[in-house]
Amino acid sequence: MADTATGATLPQPSRGGWRILALLAPAYGWLLLTVFLPLCAMLVFSFLKTTPFGSRQPLVFTFKNYLAFVDRPYLVNVAWTSLQLGLWTTGLCAALGLPAAIALARATRGRTRQVLFLLTILPFWTNGLVRVFSWTMLLREGGLLDQAVHLVWPGAGSLSLLYSFPAVVIGLVHAYLPYMILTCYLSVVGIEDGLIDAARSLGARTPAVFTTVILPLCLPGLVSGAILIFVPVIGAFMEPRILGGRIGVTMGTVIEDQFTSAYNWPLGAALSFTMLAAVLVIFAAFSGVLRKRLAVA
Amino acid sequence: MIPLGRLTLALILVFLYAPVVVMIVMAFNESDLYALPLQPSLKWFTALAGNEKLIDASRNSVLIAVITAVLGTAIGTLAALALARHAFRGRSVLQLLLLPPIAIPWLITGTAMLVFFYWTGIGRGLHAMILGHVALAIPYVVLVVGTGLQGLRSDLEEAAMSLGSTPVHAFFAITLPLLAPSLIAAALFAFAVSLDQFVVSYFLATPGVSTLPVEIYTSIRKGFTPEINAVSTLLLGASVMLFLVFAVLTRMGEADERR
Amino acid sequence: MSGVEVRAVSKRYGAASVLDAVDARFPEGRFTSLLGPSGSGKTTLLRIIGGFVAPDGGRVVIGGADVTAVPLWKRRIGMVFQSYALFPHMTVAQNVAYGLNRRGIRGAAARAEVGRALELVHLTGFDARRPKQLSGGQQQRVALARAIVTKPRVLLLDEPLSALDRRLRQNMQIELKRIQRESGLTTIFVTHDQEEALTLSDTVAILDRGRIVQEGAPADIYEHPRTSFAAAFLGDANFFRGTVRGEAIDTPAGPIRIAGALPAPGTAVTVAVRPEKMTLLSAGPDPAGNVIDATLREIIYAGAVSTFLLTGSDGAEIKVLSQNRDLAGPAPGARVRLAWAPAHTVLLAD
Repeated sequence: MADTATGATLPQPSRGGWRILALLAPAYGWLLLTVFLPLCAMLVFSFLKTTPFGSRQPLVFTFKNYLAFVDRPYLVNVAWTSLQLGLWTTGLCAALGLPAAIALARATRGRTRQVLFLLTILPFWTNGLVRVFSWTMLLREGGLLDQAVHLVWPGAGSLSLLYSFPAVVIGLVHAYLPYMILTCYLSVVGIEDGLIDAARSLGARTPAVFTTVILPLCLPGLVSGAILIFVPVIGAFMEPRILGGRIGVTMGTVIEDQFTSAYNWPLGAALSFTMLAAVLVIFAAFSGVLRKRLAVA
Repeated sequence: MIPLGRLTLALILVFLYAPVVVMIVMAFNESDLYALPLQPSLKWFTALAGNEKLIDASRNSVLIAVITAVLGTAIGTLAALALARHAFRGRSVLQLLLLPPIAIPWLITGTAMLVFFYWTGIGRGLHAMILGHVALAIPYVVLVVGTGLQGLRSDLEEAAMSLGSTPVHAFFAITLPLLAPSLIAAALFAFAVSLDQFVVSYFLATPGVSTLPVEIYTSIRKGFTPEINAVSTLLLGASVMLFLVFAVLTRMGEADERR
Repeated sequence: MSGVEVRAVSKRYGAASVLDAVDARFPEGRFTSLLGPSGSGKTTLLRIIGGFVAPDGGRVVIGGADVTAVPLWKRRIGMVFQSYALFPHMTVAQNVAYGLNRRGIRGAAARAEVGRALELVHLTGFDARRPKQLSGGQQQRVALARAIVTKPRVLLLDEPLSALDRRLRQNMQIELKRIQRESGLTTIFVTHDQEEALTLSDTVAILDRGRIVQEGAPADIYEHPRTSFAAAFLGDANFFRGTVRGEAIDTPAGPIRIAGALPAPGTAVTVAVRPEKMTLLSAGPDPAGNVIDATLREIIYAGAVSTFLLTGSDGAEIKVLSQNRDLAGPAPGARVRLAWAPAHTVLLAD
């Protein structure tokens, strides 16, 4: 009953305002100090002319850093590489993740499903760096993949995938595929068997059931999975560095360079904020779908 | 369609685990060129035992992870209690503010911390990494504990109070014991987030004080050494153990079996 | 054990007024039901009496003492929740002993009390079980034992039977009545199920939009509803609107007489007639009392009884409930005559 439900779960709105504040203060104070203020500081930094390392010179402000894409045309290519990486990775994850999620949700039962489910999300918990590193052993010239190919076809040349664009994509797909499987899985398990039976009873064949029932209902999972993958991928720097070598110059590695070797922090900050803006635009565009997801979580 | 799906699932699991398995196997291989056939050896683990740098970094990693687990769980649980138990103005905004640490690429969060900590004099090092790791852990803790609280009926505390418990006693006698699995799960999650965290540590580490993932990254960039396989294998083992305990505690993967 | 009184209790949630200056008395040792639809404020009233919710205005008095400012945990009430709210991490015995322990009763004394309470609810031997291992009805009885073992001054029941299936609910109604009688506890029972309220209560209070619209013994409020809301919510009713003319009420369906005194001629009035008080006349002379024409539209057969849906001569729907004593009867479409006694015509206040 409606009145009993609200009576039992909704506490007094006004009582204990201080208590709520005291409960929230540590968490949000901490986030303020470590996330929100730093982001503000970085915004200020992105308008500085030079990195104020130790020097007592007055700060000089400029918009120059945000014109980097005009001043340094090679950055356009770098951004294009990042975008391609993002699209390839997201696309492959979707193409592999959705069928896997459907298979997991609909073709397995009981204990098997439990084990398979845990196996799919286990990689979340393992170090991404370690997983990327493991690929270097497989992909490098004379690596295990080459050796395996030579076992089958001794005359074959070296695949020599390491330090190439595909290597980076493979590493990124490996890193982010579990996200897609998980978000799609959550959508698929929500589909009742009755719906599919209903579609069949109305004359839909398997492909039709897929395109008219399963796919539309999976769309929220597909979209949130895509965002969860695309956003970090365009900011990735570790995977391109390790698997891409000199080819792997991305927005992520360029930003990393500004902070760790070029020491042009204002430029790095401006590039970060340009990327953050892109991320926010993506989030805003899909906020409806994401909110529904979060409500579930 | 279903056999095709099963095949995809199987291939994907192979894809996900093959490189990891290879790495683990190679950690026990005598050859430093990953040559086959396998010659079993613990050589790289022995080498690891003598590598001061990696051992120091490992110690830092565990220390930071423990502190992150304790602080993150305590702070996040308080926030979860407020967010899950009370309706107040601005609650949805506060919930939304938990997203940036998760959703913004770590590269941006990490560099922003670097800039801010440098600017304010907080500087880099162990304390800076702890600050950063706890911030990353808080949203996950709020999520895990919040989910646990949702599973707890709010009328249990009311029932306890109607039987003579003060609110404080009711919290400790009823809510806390029932919340314990969620709290442990949240702490494990925070521990794992911290232990595996690379990007933020990378920007906040100093040449003297770094963590295991940062050391692994530096070693990889310098060149291959199978010692990295060995230490990665150990790190992986630790993560898997944490995961299994977490999965049991939160009964993960069982929820959908009630259909 | 003691009577409960609420005086001018009001409660608002934001702009919505949930309770509007409610006065009510719940006599000592009696079983009172608060009956009303969703949103009528019955649960809020119960929660104010228990101390789960603070009223915006008014007083709550238990056993002659004003407890409005007394916190929940000092009120010495027993509450059975709709969801039972059994502590899942404790055994049945630990659940029941919880309130005793809070009152300083431990050890053998507590065990004896727990044993007695479990015996009262017929759950002897279930001490070591966990709530999860019990059926819905058993959990219900543990919740009841837990609430009464501390000998509270008042027992509050918040729709405790609504989660049970029909048969179990009927059994539990009998059990609940027995336990209440044996324990002699002042009991306040919230429900939206009219049959449950009628079966269990000494007194029924009907709530509508934050006010108690009628209070009385079950038979009294069923036979003599004061308002059309009370008549329609508690049981079924056929309503006739008309104007007083001389000895009868002139309605579009025909003149209707009542047993009591009529208001002044010319007054617009509404009367209610319970469906089971009406009979379908077979051929023959009309009896004394009220008789109107109607057309039979549909017969809903339900074993022991049938419901006849008819259309009055003015087009209004009329419902008649009849025991299936004879097999033969009019068929849908037939024109029939309906009769009932003036004594069964209830003059409503609105």
